[in-house]
Amino acid sequence: MNAAPPPAPRKLRLATVSLAGCFGCHMSFLDIDERLFALIERVEFDRSPLTDLKAVGRCDIGLVEGGLCNAENVQVLREFRAHCKTLVAVGACAINGGLPAQRNHLRIDELLRAVYQQRDGLAAGAQVPDDPELPLPLNRVHPIHEVVHIDYSLPGCPPSADAFWQFLTDLMAGRTPQLGHGLMHYD
Amino acid sequence: MTPAAPLFLLDGHPVPFKPGETLIEAATRAGRHIPHLCWHPGFAPHGSCRLCMVAIGERQLAACSTAAEAGLEVRLHGEALAAQRRTLLQLLFVEGNHFCPSCERSGACKLQAEACEAGVEGPHFEQLYPDRPVDASHPDVLLDLNRCILCGLCVRASAQHDGKAVFALGGRGLGTQLVVGSASGRLGDTDLAASDLAARICPVGAILPKRRGFAVPIGQRRYDAAPISALPETDDGMPPP
Amino acid sequence: MPFDLETAAHPERLRRVAIDPVSRVEGHGKVTLLLDEAGRVQQARLHIVEFRGFEQFIVGRPYWEVPVMVQRLCGICPVSHHLAASKALDAVVGVTGRGGAHPLPASATAMRRLMHYGQVMQSHALHFFHLASPDLLFGFDSEPQRRHIVGVAEAHPEIARQGVLLRQYGQEVIRATAGKRIHGTGSVPGGVNRLLSDDDHALLKGQAAERIAWAEGAVALAARLHESEPALYRHFGEVPAMMLSLVRPGDGAMELYDGVLRVRHADGSLLLDGHSDQRYLDLIEEEVRPWSYMKFPYLRALGPERGWYRVGPLARVQNCSHIPTPRAEAARQAFVAAAGGAVAHGALSTHWARMIELLYAMEVIAELLDEPALRAGELTASAPRQGGPGGDSEGEREGIASIEAPCGTLIHHYRVGRDELVTHCNLIVSTTHNNQAMNEAVRAVARHYFDGRALTEGLLNRIEVAIRAYDPCLSCATHALGRMPLDVQLSAADGRPLDRLLRDGDGRCTR
Repeated sequence: MNAAPPPAPRKLRLATVSLAGCFGCHMSFLDIDERLFALIERVEFDRSPLTDLKAVGRCDIGLVEGGLCNAENVQVLREFRAHCKTLVAVGACAINGGLPAQRNHLRIDELLRAVYQQRDGLAAGAQVPDDPELPLPLNRVHPIHEVVHIDYSLPGCPPSADAFWQFLTDLMAGRTPQLGHGLMHYD
Repeated sequence: MTPAAPLFLLDGHPVPFKPGETLIEAATRAGRHIPHLCWHPGFAPHGSCRLCMVAIGERQLAACSTAAEAGLEVRLHGEALAAQRRTLLQLLFVEGNHFCPSCERSGACKLQAEACEAGVEGPHFEQLYPDRPVDASHPDVLLDLNRCILCGLCVRASAQHDGKAVFALGGRGLGTQLVVGSASGRLGDTDLAASDLAARICPVGAILPKRRGFAVPIGQRRYDAAPISALPETDDGMPPP
Repeated sequence: MPFDLETAAHPERLRRVAIDPVSRVEGHGKVTLLLDEAGRVQQARLHIVEFRGFEQFIVGRPYWEVPVMVQRLCGICPVSHHLAASKALDAVVGVTGRGGAHPLPASATAMRRLMHYGQVMQSHALHFFHLASPDLLFGFDSEPQRRHIVGVAEAHPEIARQGVLLRQYGQEVIRATAGKRIHGTGSVPGGVNRLLSDDDHALLKGQAAERIAWAEGAVALAARLHESEPALYRHFGEVPAMMLSLVRPGDGAMELYDGVLRVRHADGSLLLDGHSDQRYLDLIEEEVRPWSYMKFPYLRALGPERGWYRVGPLARVQNCSHIPTPRAEAARQAFVAAAGGAVAHGALSTHWARMIELLYAMEVIAELLDEPALRAGELTASAPRQGGPGGDSEGEREGIASIEAPCGTLIHHYRVGRDELVTHCNLIVSTTHNNQAMNEAVRAVARHYFDGRALTEGLLNRIEVAIRAYDPCLSCATHALGRMPLDVQLSAADGRPLDRLLRDGDGRCTR
């Protein structure tokens, strides 16, 4: 008589990455605490530091922490853009470069020499690292929207766990995420 | 019997005004917040930040420099005005170096509060990352031009309230900058005192008292508990030392 | 050639195997191996590929910004940087930690200590439960599809739940003392900006006993894992190294907020004790190698080849004379007894030591919560600091401080001009101290497991397991988190691709 229950909706795929970030945004995401167990009922992590349950495929949501400090960051960001339907700049560094962008008024070569050749307590003859294995640093730190299209920004340094929760639950419900007072902050 | 004060309508709400008042003065007195950065109740309007733009009929006018008139129908809210306000705020952010995470005015900064209120989630435009100096030559006051938004409040406070001429705006267009009125161009060579209004009126983190950063804990900062639109306009600025 | 397997004699003749990135989440680090024709490892290096330049752009900023700014070095242990900077800047504003004309108020010391121990707790819980436990509970060669916190939640729901809630407790301690869980503002040069509220006190006090019990359970779990495969746990990634950490002045007890430097030889004998962190430059010198942005510190007196050392839980638990809280001390004695009088140098022993410290931190928090100074008292010292015109080095003030961050000893060093702007900053972060030790652990694993064998996911995972045991904060440099995707490529000397193994983020390997 009764129709079969509707099939469970497909879980959304969520990818996360930290480029030139401090990992604070990922930590704040983990600060949803026990809500994590509720979240994994509705979301599967794909290319996330948290789990690796499913095969890498196209993602519904990509969360990007950190700005662009070197060439490798740019490459990883482009891969994320190519794989994620909705790409989100998470936190101050992804959104405007964050504190690492405070180096932008300095010349990168002078910066490297100061840290690797002119600091206290360095062994004699210290040189700036230059091995081909090291990705080239960019002259300036850039926010990610200057390189790829982003769909949303989630501000904060880091955004609070409640902001993550509000943002993701809105997104999962098909609503445009709205952060009210308290959840919307830049510090 | 005193005659009833004349009224104008702000988004449909009647706002009483006294003759000679501007829209923003009357609205502020009535407890209605019109976004602004360069306006301050104690000083003549500057009309530079354009955040207080309102629509009257087809025209857009700055509420800080438009006289209230009986029967005016003024629109503050609305998608077009809100989008314009967000753009203005985004331009301010990318023009300077506004690193909120390590700025001691975070939570008590008007630029930040207005941007949060307006729903600015990101800069949208390309960051300019200008190379601007920090002037720490004054024993008690720090001047960090990275955060200056050229509102001119310190200029007016110094000239009109403190009776000094510590600050001025120089240059044109993108080259406009805050200049310090001493032969050396350094704050330490002016007669600025930490108790001057000019040293306390900055709505952002450009002019700050030294050695007091982060004294107010998170949760107790001015805009932690309520958004700027829900708070009364104050004399603003940092408390006197 | 100072270190075996660090630099091959003729790299151009060797096949390159790149594990890149070691941690894909930031892409800050990678491992490269060079193999000869017989598949023997001739060179193995852990590269730190990220450079952010904090030390330099802090110069020219006002000193009171620094504790808030430098914590952005790392979102996992921000409190370490927040407090190390605050302690160093106490000296700059004329405040002393102990005694002196302008001592730090008792309330400020208590709040900072509480904040710090909260952080050690949350970081250790994160590292063990969220990151390392899947390897340990399921095995290095287990299905990669299960090796993550969600897998743990399915197979061992109570372990996962307690892990999440232990971390939550530490984060709540930080929120209550710093204003928010990550990147707060609680500590300022010369004091703090808040006391503990009654609500937060009641919350933390109410949960303390249960969290201590869970922490004891975590120690028991780590010990049980050890006993399940003693040879593996003892010898995997085993690298005999000197041990450096802070200890409590006088009795050498474990102490994570403030102390004196002690160094032991790899055999457990004391090399140096009671060394003030103010003279760290007499003790430590750093070498730069062209293939990593992370410097290589060593004891100046012994030189780079013999003078490198290990920091972090494994060093601290074996360097201290005892732990001044009863449960953790009992756990330490069990750890020492299990090693049969020898010093433990295996990478996996670090997890056991880490859980002993988790218990210690939890016990300290519970003690501190009874401290009345947390809820009443002066916030800041009346510092004698006076401003000046600046620009002259005469009025420059210096501040040096160290603290035991979750992953090891952290040193901050600043000079501040009379105009209040920072003129100099030098940081030696915990993971940097471990740079040589981590490289040696990678080589030990590569030497033991890789030689001549075909590449498998399990072999690659072993390299990660060894690196991960150090809880490398490779973001202060970069904190490696969770499953690392690997892309290993083997090329012939002429560049012809020989073999390629891709391990995706989901742990699946494809060739």
